[in-house]
Amino acid sequence: MLFLKRYLPLVICGFTGVVFGIQYYVPHKASEDLLTFINDWMIIIFGFSMILALASLFHVHYQKIRRRQSGWGFSLIVFIAIIVTVIIGIISQGETVDEKGLTSFGWIYTNMLVPLSGTMFSILAFFIASAAFRAFRARTLDAFLLLFAAIIIMFGRVPAGEYLWSKIWGAEFPLQMGDITEWIMGVLNMAARRGILLGVALGAIATSLKIIFGIERAYLGEKE
Amino acid sequence: MRKIANILLNLDRRIIFLLIAAAVLVPLLRPFNLPGISISQPVKGVYDKIESLAPGDVLFISMDFDPTAKPELYPMGISILRHAFSKDLRVICMTLWAPGVGMAEEVMSKVAREYHKEYGKDYAFLGWMPGQLTVIIGLGQDLKKTFPKDFYGNKTDRLQIFENINSLRDIDYMVDLAAGDPGIETWYLYGKEKYGFELGGGCTAVIAPGLYPFLQTGQINGLIGGMRGAAEYETLLNRKDKATVGMDVLSTTHFLIIGLVILSNIFYLITRKGKTVR
Repeated sequence: MLFLKRYLPLVICGFTGVVFGIQYYVPHKASEDLLTFINDWMIIIFGFSMILALASLFHVHYQKIRRRQSGWGFSLIVFIAIIVTVIIGIISQGETVDEKGLTSFGWIYTNMLVPLSGTMFSILAFFIASAAFRAFRARTLDAFLLLFAAIIIMFGRVPAGEYLWSKIWGAEFPLQMGDITEWIMGVLNMAARRGILLGVALGAIATSLKIIFGIERAYLGEKE
Repeated sequence: MRKIANILLNLDRRIIFLLIAAAVLVPLLRPFNLPGISISQPVKGVYDKIESLAPGDVLFISMDFDPTAKPELYPMGISILRHAFSKDLRVICMTLWAPGVGMAEEVMSKVAREYHKEYGKDYAFLGWMPGQLTVIIGLGQDLKKTFPKDFYGNKTDRLQIFENINSLRDIDYMVDLAAGDPGIETWYLYGKEKYGFELGGGCTAVIAPGLYPFLQTGQINGLIGGMRGAAEYETLLNRKDKATVGMDVLSTTHFLIIGLVILSNIFYLITRKGKTVR
């Protein structure tokens, strides 16, 4: 059992990690066929993982309803929404439109999912404005610089800002608002982002190597 | 003075909500019709590449977003498809986001109808498939094997548009319209890097700053960022639509937030000054 639970997954992980690490650099047909074969399996496994995800979702919400935990009514809505959508989706054969126009499934998508998702996202505008008013303070020099850059970007990324700038300095002024925002985005922002990306990439490489060589075993459920 | 500043610092957030609601509604009801929008180089990168393609060339679009990103990415999809169809490009579209299937299909069929394009010959919609990055690798290895059927159930090897298109290596340009992950970075890492096609992107404003390193190195040749980017693309096409209309709303809300931040900092300085004196 120990072999199946601990050593076999490590062997599979190490072997596939090394093989596909090398595969990337070998453009031979056999190597490409191997990638295609494994990739097909990965797509199939990914499909099955969705069933697992659905089962897990049902389990979590079922437990909430059974124990009458706070907000259990929302879990009930999750159940009803999923079941109704799946039934209507099957009846509509997964089609959102047919020759008559929107199917029932399409109606749910267009008139329920789209506006509900849009509403959820647009609520952010209200909270961002409120949070900016309360929290965006120039308490230190760093915070002031961040605040200053944010104001320039917000000012310069809208036509009204560009319009006002050109009205103040004139359309012939060599430094237009668009140039300033592009410089902040393309130089200051880009340099900081690149640093973060490099750090993340190096971390990902180190973690991948640790997993491939069996040093990092947290994915097997083992503690550090 | 300090007392007033303190009161204003603790302003009821519902007042701020009302101000935001007004800043959104007023320009929608009474548009300001602000003068032209300047075109940024990243947006021009995508436009110029599509402009350089010849009729019959293949543009591959992945609409990796869901309804939450509709205001920003839907107008981008419309503009890019209008540009592509006006140049008689062949367009293949898909999505890596399951909730985005309905919208991607809607954008595709809407613009195709506008330009009287024929399904299967001028354009095709592959739909969605589970797997995210594995789907990208699959498309790079064998497109027709990964998607044996399109969204409508037609066999891909029988559609005229897929003649001579066996994998991502055979496309002329790809644009990914993304609201997150999987998105532009995923297409770069698992698609362009291995299969060597030219890649451009369109994304929500919130993720655009994170993609500038890819832009500067040429890993992506252009980037349409947020509703502003979509409005720039509409300006380039000389066909103003929803994104351009949205610019008025964006202007008022940005100005309101700038005003609120400046005011709150003035109030903060007043209250702090008072405390220092004491």
